Amino acid sequence: MGSIEGILTGFQVAFSLEGILFVMIGVFVGTFIGMLPGLGPISAIAVMIPITFGMDPTPALVMMAGVYYGAIFGGSTSSILLNAPGVSGAVATAFDGYPMAQQGKAGKALAIAAICSFIGGTVSVVLLMLLAPLLSSVAISFGPPAYFALMLMGLTAISSLSEGSTIKALISAVAGFIIVTIGIDAQTGTQRFTFGNVNLLEGLDFLVIALGLFALAEVCTLIIKRKDLSQDTHKLGSMRLSKKDFNEMKGPVTRQSFLGFILGVLPGAGATIASFIAYITEKKISKNPEEFGKGSVKGLAAPETANNAATSGAFVPLLSLGIPGSGTTAVMLGAFLVLGVQPGPLLMTDRPEIFWGIIASMYIGNVFLLVLNLPLIPYFAKILKIPRPLLISLVIMFSIIGVYAISFNTFDLYMLLLFGVVGFLMRIFSFPAPPFILAFILGGMMEQAFRQSLTISNGNLMVFVNDPIAISLLIVALLSFIFPLIRVLRKRKG
Amino acid sequence: MKKLIPLIAMMFLLLIAAACADEEEASGSGDSGDTAESSDWAPESPIEIVAPAGAGGGWDTTARMVAKVFTEEGIIDESIGVVNKAGGGGAVGWAYIAGQDGSPHNMFVASPPLLFIPLNGQSEYGHEDFTPIANVIADYAAFAVAADAKWDNLNELFDDMKEDPSSITVVGTSSPGSMDHIQFVQIAKAAGVDVTKIKYVSDQDGVGLTQLLNGSVDVFSTGVSETVEQVKAGTIRVLGVTSEERLEGEVLEDFPTAIEQGIDETFVNWRGFFGPPNMDEAAIAYYEKKFKELSDSEAFAEIRGQFGWDEMYMGSEEYSQFLDEEKENIQTLLDELGLGE
Repeated sequence: MGSIEGILTGFQVAFSLEGILFVMIGVFVGTFIGMLPGLGPISAIAVMIPITFGMDPTPALVMMAGVYYGAIFGGSTSSILLNAPGVSGAVATAFDGYPMAQQGKAGKALAIAAICSFIGGTVSVVLLMLLAPLLSSVAISFGPPAYFALMLMGLTAISSLSEGSTIKALISAVAGFIIVTIGIDAQTGTQRFTFGNVNLLEGLDFLVIALGLFALAEVCTLIIKRKDLSQDTHKLGSMRLSKKDFNEMKGPVTRQSFLGFILGVLPGAGATIASFIAYITEKKISKNPEEFGKGSVKGLAAPETANNAATSGAFVPLLSLGIPGSGTTAVMLGAFLVLGVQPGPLLMTDRPEIFWGIIASMYIGNVFLLVLNLPLIPYFAKILKIPRPLLISLVIMFSIIGVYAISFNTFDLYMLLLFGVVGFLMRIFSFPAPPFILAFILGGMMEQAFRQSLTISNGNLMVFVNDPIAISLLIVALLSFIFPLIRVLRKRKG
Repeated sequence: MKKLIPLIAMMFLLLIAAACADEEEASGSGDSGDTAESSDWAPESPIEIVAPAGAGGGWDTTARMVAKVFTEEGIIDESIGVVNKAGGGGAVGWAYIAGQDGSPHNMFVASPPLLFIPLNGQSEYGHEDFTPIANVIADYAAFAVAADAKWDNLNELFDDMKEDPSSITVVGTSSPGSMDHIQFVQIAKAAGVDVTKIKYVSDQDGVGLTQLLNGSVDVFSTGVSETVEQVKAGTIRVLGVTSEERLEGEVLEDFPTAIEQGIDETFVNWRGFFGPPNMDEAAIAYYEKKFKELSDSEAFAEIRGQFGWDEMYMGSEEYSQFLDEEKENIQTLLDELGLGE
């Protein structure tokens, strides 16, 4: 069956009454679960798996896909309003989204997030539809040396993620590196820093750290800063965007729709890494990088576009190769198998109605998400009208629920508390949290990729030079490290 | 503020729905129950099956499918809930079950990691601490290479490994000393390869297949069912599987076993159910019978076909012996590799 025919079949499936209905249910459930701090696509998909038992696979999978990207779409809300990311892909959204909301522009911030998510999602579905069969070769083009180089490139951004002291940013990053080594080392099976505790064998979950360092630390800071509580409510601001806003969004949205998609295609990279790299690149090329972290439109638009674009990108290896590139897509793969569908190189020809149906349904899904989210923004934003003591309690409660939902283990809650305290102390002594999180996300994969490369090459470091992708990425990493130095030196001379 | 109340209520409802999803799924119980009640014990309260891993994985799928057949076929009338207790590669779930001493309403699903993980010193509980109830299915390992690889069978591969072990890299999902590694080592050892020199890298998140396809590694040690789609598409070839005899089914029947290539060794990825320590004899007898009924049912045969699982029923006593032998084998291998505790 030709691709055109396949695409048409897909639209037929997506635009059938059944297709539209299940996409709607999927994105509705996804976006609401995603909005809850701490609950992300994994919990959302896991909740839906038993519901799909006995359903026809096509509508069931169309719905599950909707749950997945819906959760990423909705994940920005709690990041922006409460600094409590519900999805790891929405951590970078908090960097500028939360300051913007604090400045009384919550409505605007949510609107920007929704529009960027929509554009990122839609552009990437177009790419997915046109390029999915071709991109499967891109998805497998990265060997361990290339992954190492990609992660290293992301890390060069540590200095640009921090305000003020670079030394403190580096210390914070090193702490992130140390924390990510906790657990069983995949390459040797040895336990590292587990102190014989079974709960630490699999390491710490990303959400424990993100909610601790961001949400709980923020809550502590608010409590310490206790002002006159009765009068202290935020303005919500209009959700209308000015021409200037749109002009600012244009660049990041265009660039990050593509970059995010490509990063999503790579197994193991995914929405989280895409959103961080998007944030970093936009900050690097921006004319006024000092605005980032203080409520910049670009700083919000970039990660929100990229994480949604990456989500569609992640469907490339899943649908065309049967390779789940992340924990979330692994659960998605489980959902496929439960329904008796085996994703892989043959899915497109054997079950075109599923392959193209899912892709086509994403157009509708994204439109639904926009239509669903935009009118609700004023209501969501009103969360900030809740009296502060109550709001703080809610944030704490949702953080706890979110962490507990990871594995229903109370040990994680103590860790959450611990990282809340750590995050609070970091704030007091002005150690920035983003480098910590970045090192935690990239560090684990970087270390594994580095050691895999060396095992494969029998310890020869030339493996990083001989791999064309790796060497190109390493050169970019080196340049992005050297340029700021040169700039500083020139300034000193001048 | 008023408008917020429905929103918050909705969030709560979702959470409650999430928490109850497992129970709901299991509680639509069949009311037939015309099975002759010969044993003198029957469950008096809902049964909890723990999958000591997250949703969507092998343990979770097995537990949910078994619960589904038990309920839908009316084999067990009492409602069955599947609960995920992830962490420590299973250790967290095992610690939980170990705390339910003697309870006849709790069990968990397990496979070879129940032997590997304690042997690697990653769990204080091993299979000896629990009550084996019944084994249900078997799965086997497959060793795959890229479609254009130079080896046509396991012997050619192993000959090259004997000659220059540094030239061949094996990839699997689990860490060294666990399943994907040991299943390969076990067969390679039988073929006479120096197993201490095998180069093995672990790659999570399904990237192992990626590394095989892009040529970073040479051999992918995985489960049989994970290879089928790729073989059909002609991207990889399976040099050997670890079952006793050829498997049944399209594509699967084409995979040569290690035995027919002259390597006298097998590896079984068994999957069965265990109760807490000191489970009552009568309860064991009850569940043994029910699992046998499940294993013989047509509904479960269909599920086995769907997931590419093999039938492998063992009752409590036989299972227990089997596990002791398996553990000894693995212990010997780990000692040789210098990995054991």
